[in-house]
Amino acid sequence: MLLRGLTWLVLFQLLGTAINHLFLSILPGPIIGLLLLLTYLIVRGEVGAPLSEAASTLLRYLPLLLVPPAVGVMVYAADIAADFWAIAGALVLSLLISMVFAGVLMQKLIARQARHEERP
Amino acid sequence: MNLDWHGAVDAVIHHPLFGIGITLGAYQLVLAAYEKTRWIFLQPVLMSMLVVISVLLLCGLTYSEYRKSTEILNILLGPATVALAVPLYLNLRRIRQLFWPTFTTLVFGGVVATGVCLLLGWWFGAEHMILMTLAPKSVTSPIAMLVAEQIGGVAALAAVFVLITGVIGAIFGPALLSRCGVHSPEARGMALGLTAHAVGTSVALQESEECGAFAALAMSLMGVATAVFLPLAVSLVA
Repeated sequence: MLLRGLTWLVLFQLLGTAINHLFLSILPGPIIGLLLLLTYLIVRGEVGAPLSEAASTLLRYLPLLLVPPAVGVMVYAADIAADFWAIAGALVLSLLISMVFAGVLMQKLIARQARHEERP
Repeated sequence: MNLDWHGAVDAVIHHPLFGIGITLGAYQLVLAAYEKTRWIFLQPVLMSMLVVISVLLLCGLTYSEYRKSTEILNILLGPATVALAVPLYLNLRRIRQLFWPTFTTLVFGGVVATGVCLLLGWWFGAEHMILMTLAPKSVTSPIAMLVAEQIGGVAALAAVFVLITGVIGAIFGPALLSRCGVHSPEARGMALGLTAHAVGTSVALQESEECGAFAALAMSLMGVATAVFLPLAVSLVA
């Protein structure tokens, strides 16, 4: 079961890589694979058991898979130090601003939709 | 009898399994510490990264050697990214009713999250490589790393910026939203997932089931939207 689902995921990723090379060089292969799989699921209308098992197993270990690339930060210590305050300021401020913006906007839109539904 | 201790240590350190060994060890150590304390600063990736870096520095190993020995974990990252389609599909089915509010918030919130960050970074004088790495900071790490690399940033740095964003969002987000009068669980979940991805989603799940569902949806929508439109936008501007 697990292997069958994994095979599907690998197939979609390879298909994505092929499309990336042939037509769409701006989108990374795995992202094209993700979009293809999403389209496939929407068309099919359900997630098969093998695929769902493979996806949840793989996603459970996602943090572990991310450790090796993150370790690469040791190569860029000097670049971070050079722009430290710009990075910290941009990250913190933009997060706080966009979080409030998204929250308030969503709440307003939900309230508006609810009003429309009351008075059709 | 004269045992060759030095040679043995060398053989272990330079064995192809050493990198995987310390990665697995560090990850489980941090995970156990996190389970015990539930301390939000103990983000598994961030802390494992620090542990692995210290071990590498102690043993005098270079990053490229470590990278080569952990190649197998890297190869699995692609299928794991593709697998993100499954939770996205399951979440999409749940929100038919609030489709337009969700969609509008995704478009405007996503643009603000990315735009404000780039503007501030540029204004504070960050160089181009750092800016391109900051741009995808609101999305889940595998996507952010792919996108950063694609638009001329650095994948490793992107992973760290993403984590810092998530941790700050999880610590300050809920209080900030309450203070600004955002009380509906859907809106709180949407804001947390859109800006603080997986870490924000885990906080949203603690608030309520509904809040968590919207956070998970916002996180996956924002991830896919960023992956598709950010490289496009950058290639148009450049």
